[in-house]
Amino acid sequence: MIYLDNAATTRPDADAFARAAKEAAENYYNPSANYGGGFAVRAKINVARESLLKRVADPAKFELIFTGSGTEADDQAIFGGARRGNAVASAGEHAAVERSFSELKNRGVEPRFAPVRADGSVDPDALLQLVDERTTLVSVVHVNNETGAVNDIAALAKAVKEKNPRCLFHSDGVQAFGKVPIRLTPAIDLYSVSAHKIGGLKGTGALIKRKGLALPPLIHGGGQENGSRSGTENVLGILDFAYAAEKKFATLEADGARLRGYRERIMSFLGERAGGGIRRISPSAGSPYILTVSAVGTRGEVLARMLFDRGVCVGTGSACSSKHRFSRVLTACGYPQAVLDGVLRISFSPQTTEQEADAAALAIYETVKAFQEKV
Amino acid sequence: MEKVVIIRYAEIHLKGKNRGYFERVFAMNLERSLKGIRHELHRTSGRWLVAKFPEDRADEVAERISNVFGVHSYSVGYLVGSELDEIFAGVRLVMPKSGTFKVETHRGYKKYPLNSMEISAEMGGRILAENPKLKVDVHAPAHTVYIDVRENGAALVFGSMLPGVGGMPVGTSGKGLLLISGGIDSPVAGYLMAKRGLVVELLHFHSYPYTNDGAKEKVVELSRLLSKFTLVTHLTTVSVTKIQEEIHEKCAAELNITLLRRFMFRIAERMAVKGGMGCLVTGESLGQVASQTLEGMTSSNAVVTLPVLRPLVGFDKDEIIERAKKIGTYETSVLPYEDCCTVFLPEFPATRPKPEKIAEEEAKLDVEGLVAQALETAEVIAF
Repeated sequence: MIYLDNAATTRPDADAFARAAKEAAENYYNPSANYGGGFAVRAKINVARESLLKRVADPAKFELIFTGSGTEADDQAIFGGARRGNAVASAGEHAAVERSFSELKNRGVEPRFAPVRADGSVDPDALLQLVDERTTLVSVVHVNNETGAVNDIAALAKAVKEKNPRCLFHSDGVQAFGKVPIRLTPAIDLYSVSAHKIGGLKGTGALIKRKGLALPPLIHGGGQENGSRSGTENVLGILDFAYAAEKKFATLEADGARLRGYRERIMSFLGERAGGGIRRISPSAGSPYILTVSAVGTRGEVLARMLFDRGVCVGTGSACSSKHRFSRVLTACGYPQAVLDGVLRISFSPQTTEQEADAAALAIYETVKAFQEKV
Repeated sequence: MEKVVIIRYAEIHLKGKNRGYFERVFAMNLERSLKGIRHELHRTSGRWLVAKFPEDRADEVAERISNVFGVHSYSVGYLVGSELDEIFAGVRLVMPKSGTFKVETHRGYKKYPLNSMEISAEMGGRILAENPKLKVDVHAPAHTVYIDVRENGAALVFGSMLPGVGGMPVGTSGKGLLLISGGIDSPVAGYLMAKRGLVVELLHFHSYPYTNDGAKEKVVELSRLLSKFTLVTHLTTVSVTKIQEEIHEKCAAELNITLLRRFMFRIAERMAVKGGMGCLVTGESLGQVASQTLEGMTSSNAVVTLPVLRPLVGFDKDEIIERAKKIGTYETSVLPYEDCCTVFLPEFPATRPKPEKIAEEEAKLDVEGLVAQALETAEVIAF
């Protein structure tokens, strides 16, 4: 199987998993226990915490709360950060942010969505126009999960703070962490990440938070994570996250350059063979990990199943059903129906090889052709 | 004293000389519904008795029995000795805690020293002595205590009669083939025909990769839910992908659905004949969608000789939904997996397809070849 749906999830890194599993099995004590064993596990968690945090931020200025998922991290940032008034997000947010923003309405906060451009990145001027003195939170996805477009969150955060210094700035960094270079600036208050997008395990995420910012917990209980997130720590997931990140960040630049090469290779192959039939959606300046295209007039979901049966796994931005047929984000990008119908998301991991990229490109081209001939 | 479930049946008594046969099928269905629970099934005068099951599974026994077609009503009660003290020991377990009551006795064993009125009076007196707050009301009591004195020194005591699903024992009306989609209607249609004694075999058409496995799983789950009533525990699936592609390529778009349905009926009839089934069953309701018009139904009927039963033909959507909720298939039916890809849906389907036009379009296709090809994709899923 050529696995090119890495934006959905990645294969767990075997070395990181073996290392974490061994340590978690040996250190089975409750991290809250007040004896040697508990202390040792707690120490391991804190080493993992520091190790993850320092990859993208200065541990002196930021702290990291482990959560059960990227979605949970987003929810904690949004429901903890938004106050009475309004909150602004881009129209290109993942459902984890978008649905939570819609829920804010029921809690007395007016949600506002800033339009996106054709590549899925937010229009900075339009975003700033929505920010006013009653804005309490702005949330902008770092890397758009459907198109790979990168938002310059440092610049956006700075501009937002200049307009309203009391407003919090959050970014969903799930598709960015370990994949595109970032150093959190003081204007970025909150940043969500997830383990399983970089070779970690499903069920572990984290919310990185500016030190000194008081954020109420989403989950109350035994007071773990300094009271910010109760529940006995997922020791295996946390250690594994740190080891997977260690590996991922070591080759971040080299992987990015290589995968960007594959991305362009696939695109130029598809462009040459299919002409205008396969249209590029991902921007070239976007994440090298995501190539979103549309085989105009086809059905992405059907193509994905045909490709799966041929041994190629890709994602899709559309559904065959008549309800919720089109991607909300890509609709917001302004594409016509025929383009929305045919969306495929090809997403890479460092394990992707050039041979796989070439084989996938050919399979995609042939599958699109077969579909067009039949339908 | 032993906990038992008493079963009374519906309509079977109407069946004259065939009664023995109907009763045998009914008993077999009761046995099948109780599969996995240790029990004994006894026939007594005009009713069945489930006994010797683990007492803590009494509710489960009752629940399963309540879904067997042919059950008119059932009661959970006690099998006791016929001495008055023994009867009262059972009565104490089923008597109400408050309100009004009466005692109703049926005396099958006519040599019993007391007649039914006397037994009722005696037990009524004992109940009042035990709980003086209760009041007797023989006309409109809130509760009734039933006593059934039988031969061989035994009696049955129970506190309520709950309605069963009624209908006829599945299998007494022959065998049919239900075209089951993932929607709300077809499971209800299958339920209604099983209720009239039909063995409802299941056939599902899919068009992978245009439809996904989620849609198939949904149909399997619906079939499993239906099996509680129909006692059929397998489903056949057939791919119509090739047929849809051919129709799409060669025929007028507005007739897509009409033509596809004709293929489905042909395939279904082949399978039905092969499997000894005497009819097709569909969930169609007149005028509900473009293909379910009189003309649409006529065009499907024209390609088969078996009767096509459409028990929902006169039902409103609301009525169908209500029934689907009642039999427990609704929630699964509304899960978001579609059984037809939008790519094949014409913008304006023909609601009144003309026979000449259909024949003209169909002539462009190798009908026999496509049917044979589709039949080869048949898969049986047991659940």
